[in-house]
Amino acid sequence: MIKNIPKKPLPTLLSTIGIPFAIVFSIYSFLQIGFNLEDFRKNLQNRYIVTDPLFNPKWSWAIENASAALVETIQIAILASVVGCFIALPLSFYASRATNKNSFSYFLYKSFLNLVRTIPDLFWAMMFTVAVGLGPFAGVLALIMFSLAIMGKLLSETIDSIDPGPMEAAKATGGSHNQAIFTSALPQVLPNFTAYFLYIFELCIRASVILGLVGAGGVGRIIETQRIFLRFDRISPIVVLILVVVIGIEQFSVWLRRKIL
Amino acid sequence: MKIPQQPWQQNAFKYGITFLIVVSSIWSASGLEITLERIIDAPRQIGILVGAMFPLDLSDEALDRIIPKVWESLFIAWAGTVIGALFSFPISFLAANNTSTPFISRITKQILNAIRAFPELILAFVFLPITGLGPLTGTLAVGIHSIGTLGKLSSEVVEGIDEGPLEAIKASGGSKLNELTFGVIPQVIPTITSYWLYRFEINLRASAVLGVVGAGGVGAELINQLRFRDFPRAGTVLITTIILVLTVDTISAAIRKRIIQGKINKT
Amino acid sequence: MIKFENISVTYPGGVEALKDINLEVNEGDFLIIVGLSGAGKSTLLRATNNLVKPTKGNVYVDSRNVTTASKKELKEIRSDIGMIFQTFNLVNRSTVLKNVLTGRLSQISSLRSIFGLWPKDQKNLAFESLNQVEILEKAYVRASNLSGGQQQRVGIARALSQKPKVMLADEPVASLDPITSRVVMSYLKKINTELGITTIVNLHFLDLAKEFGDRLIGLRDGELVYDGKVSDVSDEDFENIYGRSIKSSDLIGEDD
Repeated sequence: MIKNIPKKPLPTLLSTIGIPFAIVFSIYSFLQIGFNLEDFRKNLQNRYIVTDPLFNPKWSWAIENASAALVETIQIAILASVVGCFIALPLSFYASRATNKNSFSYFLYKSFLNLVRTIPDLFWAMMFTVAVGLGPFAGVLALIMFSLAIMGKLLSETIDSIDPGPMEAAKATGGSHNQAIFTSALPQVLPNFTAYFLYIFELCIRASVILGLVGAGGVGRIIETQRIFLRFDRISPIVVLILVVVIGIEQFSVWLRRKIL
Repeated sequence: MKIPQQPWQQNAFKYGITFLIVVSSIWSASGLEITLERIIDAPRQIGILVGAMFPLDLSDEALDRIIPKVWESLFIAWAGTVIGALFSFPISFLAANNTSTPFISRITKQILNAIRAFPELILAFVFLPITGLGPLTGTLAVGIHSIGTLGKLSSEVVEGIDEGPLEAIKASGGSKLNELTFGVIPQVIPTITSYWLYRFEINLRASAVLGVVGAGGVGAELINQLRFRDFPRAGTVLITTIILVLTVDTISAAIRKRIIQGKINKT
Repeated sequence: MIKFENISVTYPGGVEALKDINLEVNEGDFLIIVGLSGAGKSTLLRATNNLVKPTKGNVYVDSRNVTTASKKELKEIRSDIGMIFQTFNLVNRSTVLKNVLTGRLSQISSLRSIFGLWPKDQKNLAFESLNQVEILEKAYVRASNLSGGQQQRVGIARALSQKPKVMLADEPVASLDPITSRVVMSYLKKINTELGITTIVNLHFLDLAKEFGDRLIGLRDGELVYDGKVSDVSDEDFENIYGRSIKSSDLIGEDD
C-alpha cells in the first residue's frame, strides 16, 4: 500500500456556497414567476389565437403600411450610431487611464459612461418621449445614449491597453499632451473604433425595431398598434420583413468589418 | 528626389466608407426632420426631466409598489438565463463541428441563428396571448432568446478546445461519451459558465424593459409613472433599477473573473 | 508481441506516410524509432492502436488483429496500450488525479464516470501510478499549474494506470529541456525494465536514442531503412536514415 496519499482539498468557497445558492435561487425564481406546468398546458390550448393568423400573413398590407416605418427605423439607427459613436470618441480618451492622468476627471467620465450603460435602451426611449415628445427624435436620442455608452466602454478599454511608446516619443519631441494623443494614441485605436462602430450599428438596428413600442418612432409603432388588436396576421409579415432587413444589414456590416480589419 | 505616390486604391476604400457614412447620416437626419439644434438642445430637456424626478418619491406606498416589481425583473432574468443555460448546453455540442456531424451541426447552427434574430420583446408579445400578462411570458421570451445567443457562443467555445486530451482518452480505450465528459466538458465549462453569468447581466436589462408590453418586471411601472407625469415616482423606479443592475453587474463580473482565473486550493 | 504486416498508410490527399512496413516487436522490448519529421514515425505509432487506420496490411498486438477488430474489441485492445504524447494531452483545467483516472475510463460504467463515482480500487490504482513517477503529492493540483516535465510524468501515470502491456510514446520529450527530457526518458526506461512493459518511443534526438534505447529502427519517407541494436548504430547509419549529414539540432546535447 502506498503511503502519503495527499488529502483531498476542500472544495472552494465559490462552489460550496455558489452552486447550492444558484440552485435554490433558481427554484425560488421559478416559483415567484408562477411557473406551473398545468396552467402552461391549458394556456397552450390558446395558441391558435397567435398561430392561426401567424401562418396567414397579410403580405400586401404589411408592405404597404410598414415600408415607410421600416425606413424610419433604419434612419434612426444610422443617425444614432454615427452621432453616439462620435460623441464617445473624445469621451473615451478622458475615460482611460492611459490618456487621462487626472484621477478625478478619469473617475468622473468612467462613472458617467457606466451610469448611461446601466439604463436599458427602452428606458432611455421612454424618458426622451417625455422630455422631447413622441416620435423618432426621442428614439434617436435614446439610441445615441445607448451607442455612446457601449462605444465609451469598448474604446476606453482599448485605449487602456495601447502601446505607450509612440505617445512617449511624441512627447519627447516636445509635443503637448493633446498632440500626443492626436498623433499617437488615436491612430492606434482607429481600426478598433471602426470595427466597434459597425458592431454598434448592428446593435442599433436591432434596438431601433422595438423603440416604437414606447412611441419613439420606427416600425415598432405599427407592431404595437396591430398587437393591441391581436392582428398577428399583419404582424407576422412585418416581423419577417424586419428580420430580412436586419440580417441583410448585418451581413453587409460583417463583410465591411472583415474588409477593414 | 522622387516622392512615392500613395496608391489610390488604399484611400479610395477609406473615402468611400466615409462618404457612405456622411451621406447616409444626412439622409437619415433629413428624413427624420432632425436638426443639429434639436440634438444640442436635448441634454437641457432631459436635464429638466431628471430634475423633476428629485426629490425621489420614497413613500411606503411607492416603495411597496415598485420594489416587488424590481425583484420580479431579477427573477425573470435569472429564470430566463437558467432556461437558456439548460437548453443551450446540450445544443451547443450538436452545433459544434468537432462534436457533431457536419449535417447536424449546420442545421443546429441555422436554428440558433433564427432564434437569435428575434428580440426578446417581439418574442414576448407573440407569447402574450398564449401565456397571458405577467412574468411567465417575460421569462419565456428571455429564455428562448438566451438559448439562441448562448447556444452560438457555447458552440464556439466547444469548437475552440484542445483536441489532444480527446486523443488520449480514445487511445486508452475510452468511448465517445467518455471523450465528451472527460475531454470536452472540463475544458469548456469555466468559459461557458462565465457566459451564462454574462448573459444574466444582459437579461436583467432586457427583463427590465419587458414590462412595456406587459410581460412582467419593472418596465410597466416606469412607463405608467411617466405617462401620468408622476416624475418623482418614475425617478424612484429608475434609481432602484440602476442600483439593482449595478449591483448584479459588479457581483457577476467578480465571479466571472474568478471562474476564468480558476482559483483552486493549493495543496 | 506486436506485429506489423505489410502496413501501408496513404492519407486523404495522397500523401504516402508508410510504405509496406514489416516489423515485429518482442515482449519487453524498448524500441526507439528515429527519423525526420514526416518520415512516418507518428503514423506507425498510431497504427499500433488504430488511431490511424492502415490503408493496407494488418497490425497484431498480443496476437489480436487490431486492424479488423470490432469497435468493442478495439476498445479492449486499446485499454491494454498506454500512450504518451508530445504535447502531454492533459485537460489543463482538471486536477492531476482526474487526468490520471481518464486512463481507467474503459473499466467503469459511463454512469459512474459522469458522476465521478470512482470505486476505491480504481482511485488507488491512479495513486499508485502517480507514485511510480514520484508525483503523488500533486494529485489534487490542477494540471495547468505543473511544469512541462511534471505534466509529462502525469501523462506517463495516466498511461500506467491502464496497467498496459504496451506503452507507446510519441515524441515524449520534444517539448522539454535536456534535463527534464532525461528524467522523463529514465522513467520510461524504468517502467520497461521493472514492469516488463513493451515500449515503443518516437524520438528525433539521436544521442537520447543511443543513451536509452535497446533496439532502434529508422524510418525514411515511410520506409523502414534500419533495424538493429542501438549499440551497433554508426554515424553513417544515422546519415542514411536522415538522408543528410547529422546537425547539432539532431542532438539534445548535454544538460546545461
